[in-house]
Amino acid sequence: MVILRPEETGLKELLDRILDKGVAVDTSVKVDLCSLNLLGSKARVILASFKTADKIGLDFPEGTDFNTPVWRDLVTKQSCPVCGMESRREELKEEGCPWCGWNYRPKER
Amino acid sequence: MDGTTDQRKGETMENTSLMPEKDSSGLADAIDRILDKGLVINADITIDVAGVELLGIKIRAALASFETAAKYGLEFPSGTITETAAWKEAMTEKEECPQCGKRVEREELLNFACPWCGWESAKAKKRKRAAVKVEVQ
Repeated sequence: MVILRPEETGLKELLDRILDKGVAVDTSVKVDLCSLNLLGSKARVILASFKTADKIGLDFPEGTDFNTPVWRDLVTKQSCPVCGMESRREELKEEGCPWCGWNYRPKER
Repeated sequence: MDGTTDQRKGETMENTSLMPEKDSSGLADAIDRILDKGLVINADITIDVAGVELLGIKIRAALASFETAAKYGLEFPSGTITETAAWKEAMTEKEECPQCGKRVEREELLNFACPWCGWESAKAKKRKRAAVKVEVQ
């Protein structure tokens, strides 16, 4: 999820949004002449960052090694809603964000 | 005028210490971003003439910086030597310092401080506080 702070509306944020959400383009073109199906073209294109691509199950090029630590991290890590830095999901939940100190349960005692 | 904007920047940095200092709206930053996050471009294109499929193109492309590509295990051209120092460095987990923007080893940045600007994470501060408490006791 992307949370935009008011001061962040530049190209960087736009790019972040596009990459994080992914872009899908689906087009089909047909050219008929005298009710004869002359020419047809179909194009399905999808564009996304690696993380998003993995989330929505896109194909990676052949030969990609899915056993690197980063692939594991994609499942176990989550980004902090305040600073956006990533940390282990349990740590973020139990102890708060180790980067900025954000905690969604402010001191109960 | 530049002086005042710089001053303002300084103030906001104090208020929200997690804002990167550098200007973040250039083309270079955009390219940095794309290369860092990686870009997957998948496309299926078919062209048929008179109901007969003439041409089919299936593209599975991934675009990323060397570091990102190495981390995600993309296949490199044959003949690439993967035992070099650059590879080892690429495989260590790094994170951008929220204050100065330098890429630093994640564990060091999180548990101690940024070796460049001295920024400390909440976790490092907490640890420091705990250590002081123990000393006092």
